[in-house]
Amino acid sequence: MRGFKTLLWLEHRRSWVWAVSLFASLAFWAWGIKQVLVLDIASRAGIRSGLLGIAAAIGLLVLAIMIGRFRGETRNGQYQVMLLSPPSGYSHILARFVYAATVAAIYYVTIAFLYWWIAELAGIHFDAVTLIELILGLPLYGLALIAFPLMAWVLLLMVVVSSYRLSGSGWIPGTIMVFGSGVAFGELGEAISRIAYSLPGWRIFRHAPGALIERFGPLDPEVSTELSQVMYQGVPIEPVLVMLAVTALMLFLAGRIWQEVEA
Amino acid sequence: MLAHLEHVTKRYVKADGVLDLSLGFPAGEVVGVLGLNGSGKSTLLKLLAGLLQPTQGTVRVFGKAPRQARSQFVFLGEQDALWTWMTPRDAEKFMSGVYEDFDAARFNELLDVLDVPRRKTKAMSKGERGRLRLAMSLSRDVKLYLLDEPLAGIDLISREKILSSLVREWHTDETILLSTHEVAEAEGLFERVLLMKAGRIALDAQAEELRDEGKSVVDAFREVLS
Repeated sequence: MRGFKTLLWLEHRRSWVWAVSLFASLAFWAWGIKQVLVLDIASRAGIRSGLLGIAAAIGLLVLAIMIGRFRGETRNGQYQVMLLSPPSGYSHILARFVYAATVAAIYYVTIAFLYWWIAELAGIHFDAVTLIELILGLPLYGLALIAFPLMAWVLLLMVVVSSYRLSGSGWIPGTIMVFGSGVAFGELGEAISRIAYSLPGWRIFRHAPGALIERFGPLDPEVSTELSQVMYQGVPIEPVLVMLAVTALMLFLAGRIWQEVEA
Repeated sequence: MLAHLEHVTKRYVKADGVLDLSLGFPAGEVVGVLGLNGSGKSTLLKLLAGLLQPTQGTVRVFGKAPRQARSQFVFLGEQDALWTWMTPRDAEKFMSGVYEDFDAARFNELLDVLDVPRRKTKAMSKGERGRLRLAMSLSRDVKLYLLDEPLAGIDLISREKILSSLVREWHTDETILLSTHEVAEAEGLFERVLLMKAGRIALDAQAEELRDEGKSVVDAFREVLS
């Protein structure tokens, strides 16, 4: 545990500029939201939400780059220092992942908070349960479904690339992984969609329609029926469980390769 | 034996690293691993550190596969492997955090002896960074030191400081394997000399025996490798 704390500190020293830049970018997006002044309230909220969607996507890209910065360290020798340090490969990989996951959690919770702010600006007042679901539940669902697997995949990819190189005779494993991952995740997506709702769904935002009706009046009957069905069914839990398992598997593989790799 | 290799061959894609090496390193030796560029010195040290896997043969360090024994030896690579943001204080934090045998008091003493400035490594000269890396390595309490070209590209004064620190810090139960091109400067340090040529051992001799024959290590180096 002593070594792990030091590895977390090392990760922070390596990556704090990226983390702080990511957090600071949210001030820019918040400023951008305030600049959207179209008259129609619904359009205004829609454009503002779209801006935050862009921020969320860019954040994912930045996190992937942040966690995957291996090449310079492989070239300059720091990788050797880490490979020969007493903590296991699993500790090294986990420290990198935990740091990036923490940064991701803070970033996406803040984005969710900005969504609440947009709703408030539009005059939509959510109750406490919906607020907690929005600010904590939704980001964690998204992180487990998309961000964590992506970060674990980038870690695994970069460990494979650093270990076997994408040049020389070792290009085959890296290339297979890059192209094979697309196919594998496609297949995984199909498999998940087949088993979705085997377990009861998570009925997130079941109180939200009330706040919308309060703000905008009765909804169109067709929309209202569809919304009720979605609210009743909730969001599926299986994709989250499967992707968390996939994340753990990829981290395990990255740690295992780290234990054996040449440098 | 602290470490030994049995019929070890390491082949790279386009070249041979070392060929059929069988060597043992008992406790309490300072071994000079000498040779021309590409002779296999770094490959030998990296095999002992577990940074390379042998194509054939067995490497054992403290009776284990080298990577399993990694907390029991020091490997100082030839690369300038410090993070640019690191200060000596950061280095101390890192080393004391991951190595149980790291002695912070000894480290600070060595920083003074080696005259290492207390600033970020990106603001240090190559010699200063080399001295910092050596201070980090010598502050650990281990029995085996694998030092791969610690003098390469470093100015004369820094080289002298590094060598005098090695002499001062060495304990009789410790083994140091030092690869270097600075044969003349390091000559007085060596008890045993391994001269490598094309991945093989061209000469494995005690420095004392060479001196008894009226030869210096430099003479042997010239005679065997020229």
